[in-house]
Amino acid sequence: MNTNSNAYTVIYTTLVVVVVAAVLAFAAMQLKPAQSANAKAETLRQMMSAAGIKSTDELYATKNADILQLYADNIDQAYTIGLDGEQNGTLSTDKANIELVDNLKPQNKGIKESTEVTLPVYIFKSGIAVMPIYGAGLWGPVWGYVAFQPDHYTIAGAYFDHESETPGLGAKIKDEAWFREKFIGKKVEWGNEPAFRLEKNAEATGAENTVDAITGATMTSKGLNEALNVWFKAYEKHFGLGAFFGMLEDHAINNEEEE
Amino acid sequence: MDKKLKETILNPILKGNPITVLILGICSSLAVTVQLKGALVMAISVTLVTGLSSLVCSLLRNSIPMRVRIIVQLVVVALMVILVDQVLKAGEGTYAIDKQLSVYIGLIITNCIVMGRIEAFALGNKPIPSLLDGLANGVGYGLILIIVAFFRELLGSGTLFGLRVLPAAYVPNNLVILPPFALILLGCIIWAHRAWDKDLQEK
Repeated sequence: MNTNSNAYTVIYTTLVVVVVAAVLAFAAMQLKPAQSANAKAETLRQMMSAAGIKSTDELYATKNADILQLYADNIDQAYTIGLDGEQNGTLSTDKANIELVDNLKPQNKGIKESTEVTLPVYIFKSGIAVMPIYGAGLWGPVWGYVAFQPDHYTIAGAYFDHESETPGLGAKIKDEAWFREKFIGKKVEWGNEPAFRLEKNAEATGAENTVDAITGATMTSKGLNEALNVWFKAYEKHFGLGAFFGMLEDHAINNEEEE
Repeated sequence: MDKKLKETILNPILKGNPITVLILGICSSLAVTVQLKGALVMAISVTLVTGLSSLVCSLLRNSIPMRVRIIVQLVVVALMVILVDQVLKAGEGTYAIDKQLSVYIGLIITNCIVMGRIEAFALGNKPIPSLLDGLANGVGYGLILIIVAFFRELLGSGTLFGLRVLPAAYVPNNLVILPPFALILLGCIIWAHRAWDKDLQEK
């Protein structure tokens, strides 16, 4: 047979592409459930690490099925809010219905363009509230989870992740436990511009809403700083008001003590 | 025949190593060798892709229209790469490593070793020798990857496979983590390889 005729070439290539497409479609369908389960467990690990349910190492050593159980045991309620701070949806907790990282990207766009958004809030039984953040690092997206004490302005913990930041430099936001531990006990100043500062020498100012940027990872730190502030701004109306009265009370107590 | 088959398997690992002798696949060996775990998964992935692609292309070798053979080979390689990536994403243990390797798994398709072996070997040989040739080239590539990753993880993080081996007092060398150090290390390996095998030295 002449394998170099035009008709043969067209039919042959068409056939190859159809067969390859069929194999890929079949494989994708078969593997989809396992992949989704992995992505979900990953997000749950990061959220629970921020919320301090267990240490990050322990969470990463736990199997997917046990992670789902751990979440079900500890979660109190989960819902979504709009930019006005009002609740506009609920997330089922027994099925661990959560917003995956892939969904944060359109939300981030929605925040910046002030369109309709459904920003997730997770309240754990300990009273700790967890919110996600998302933004652009140096090479790709960075995201993370910030957990608040019941007063809604003291940070209880944080976890950050990235797609492709430089190993040993920008990747420290994820790899180095000391970096995320620095956020514990810091306070977000709702309504302030900026509400939080992740900047060079910021801690030296003594302000409670500051963490020093990472040396050698200037662009990643800048990206994370912006992600934090854009998302804090979006959650300001939800967390800010309660936190404001909380802060007033704190000040009142302090004043009494001074007298 | 038996001797020839042995040659097919051993040559890519030693005398004709794709990285140290042919200098192919350098890009990924700089990018994914920060940690041993990632390097190991990458090595296995590339071995599977080169082996299976060579096998399939060898099976098709008599029917492929010569004018579009590169495109057909590319489609076959792409199929294997996507399959490997999907399987890694689905495995509970490999999900985190796949995320860490990110685009480099997908970029196996651009690894010159894969297309090089199909063009040079699989199109002119029977399926079984082609499969072995592909696998052996993957192993030869993976071996260098693991050697580089061993030194980079040990000196750059003080760990091996994520377990701490150097005392906590050891200050990790940041240069080792950056890609240029992998190039320096590769140069040293090529040097050592040529010093050991005199046949490789150019007169």
